[in-house]
Amino acid sequence: MGPRWKGKGAEAKALADPMSKIVLKLQSSLIQSDARGILCGSSVLLAAEEEQALLFGRAYFGHPIVNADKDRQWFQLGMEEAFFLCYSLKCLKIAGEDKRPKDDQELWQCMKSKKAGFPVFYKAYSHLRTKNWVVRPGLQYGADFVAYRHHPSLVHSEYAVLVSSEGDAEANGRLKVWSDVHCTLRLCLGVVKTLLVLTISKNGDDDASPSCLANYTVDERTVTRWSPEQSREEDTTDNAESHTTDNAESQATE
Amino acid sequence: MEVVDREKKKKINDIDEGEDHYASVSASKSQFRKVILKARWSDEMGMAEVVDKKGAIWRTTGIVRSGKLYFFIEEVLFWIEIGALLLMDDGDISLSLEDMYVKISDGKHGCSWEEFQAYRQLKSLGYIVGQHGIPWSMKSAKSNHESVSSQGGLDSDEEVDLDSEESRSVIGLFNDMQINETRLVFDVYLPNSKFRKSSPGDPSFVLCFTRGHPPPKADLEALERRCDNIPMKVCHVEEGVVSFFSFDKVELPILP
Repeated sequence: MGPRWKGKGAEAKALADPMSKIVLKLQSSLIQSDARGILCGSSVLLAAEEEQALLFGRAYFGHPIVNADKDRQWFQLGMEEAFFLCYSLKCLKIAGEDKRPKDDQELWQCMKSKKAGFPVFYKAYSHLRTKNWVVRPGLQYGADFVAYRHHPSLVHSEYAVLVSSEGDAEANGRLKVWSDVHCTLRLCLGVVKTLLVLTISKNGDDDASPSCLANYTVDERTVTRWSPEQSREEDTTDNAESHTTDNAESQATE
Repeated sequence: MEVVDREKKKKINDIDEGEDHYASVSASKSQFRKVILKARWSDEMGMAEVVDKKGAIWRTTGIVRSGKLYFFIEEVLFWIEIGALLLMDDGDISLSLEDMYVKISDGKHGCSWEEFQAYRQLKSLGYIVGQHGIPWSMKSAKSNHESVSSQGGLDSDEEVDLDSEESRSVIGLFNDMQINETRLVFDVYLPNSKFRKSSPGDPSFVLCFTRGHPPPKADLEALERRCDNIPMKVCHVEEGVVSFFSFDKVELPILP
């Protein structure tokens, strides 16, 4: 299953406007404005001037909050998004009710206390974002994340992402029984997404500080149903399908 | 009368997803074949020796040892179900379909009932299915190890005595292959009219079965190492429904 672009010029548009550059622009804009976020429940709230708000939209971080503030656009970021801007891109400072910006270690502890398995989910999120995929919450598709090849206005999300952690009970506990595998794949088929399972291995490291993330490794696997009725000839095996996808991809990157 | 109607309605509701058992019974009856094979079952080997063969079934079914053709239990059962095989025991007493259902029920002959259901589905669609890792013929075993001698010996030249030790070592393989509750069961080839047991080539994929739960990453990796670069699929059979899954390692591209 290759990318499904929205309309004719969408793919060319995406190529002319790489996501990595958009995120870089957002990063420098946030650094320039010395951006501060407020940790509010399991979200981070922040206000952006017009130009920065546009960049938030184009890089597709968070979602806008509708309020009466006429000068600035407010955004609500998820924990992984906020931590990514803060820890990986070093362009956001986050404060709690004491208004004092938290350092990386404090923020890490804070995120872990709010979300069990945060280290594992964050590793999965940052893994995909670092490859310049656009990553959004997957809850509405019964997944942990969905991944887009570019901005969702140009392309449908390609992957429903489930995060799995090797050897412990963290993460989501998904795909442990066959009924859940069937259910998830049936759903993915309905919304035309490929199921991507990211298994995070901690490699013996604990999660005491965010520096452990560097030692975590990520294993990427797609899970698909194979139909013997539709695969009787060489050309229609799923191997052949993945070749087509590869071609589409290499064309897209050319 | 009313009860009958209700009963009927209930049945119709039960078969809502296109699996119309009422209609399919007569359809599949028409596919029953005439007996073209005769075989003798050996409990000791857990296999049947084919003693009389017509047609071309033998080209893609059974293993050849010392010029003789042997069927595994799943192959025996498949052809009995279709009506193409007449089976006898050592004393020439004919074995019924029921006898063979009983034999497969204990899973001691290298194939369980769940695995047989997958075999039947693939086989009915024309796939060529063999026991994983067991050569179709001793010639193919040799060529697979790239040690074909200049004699290029016919199968009948082989001096292998299947009746005793080899068959036991073959059965021994079944047990060795278990990884936790997961094992590699079948080598599956795409439908191919030119298939030859003496040079089968690499299978299209290896089919693995799990009992209980979907395989975790560690199990998948252990199985993949044993598959030696041949793709693997995982089969799940429950309530007569056979499903095949691929858990393929991928690498998402780094986008611009």
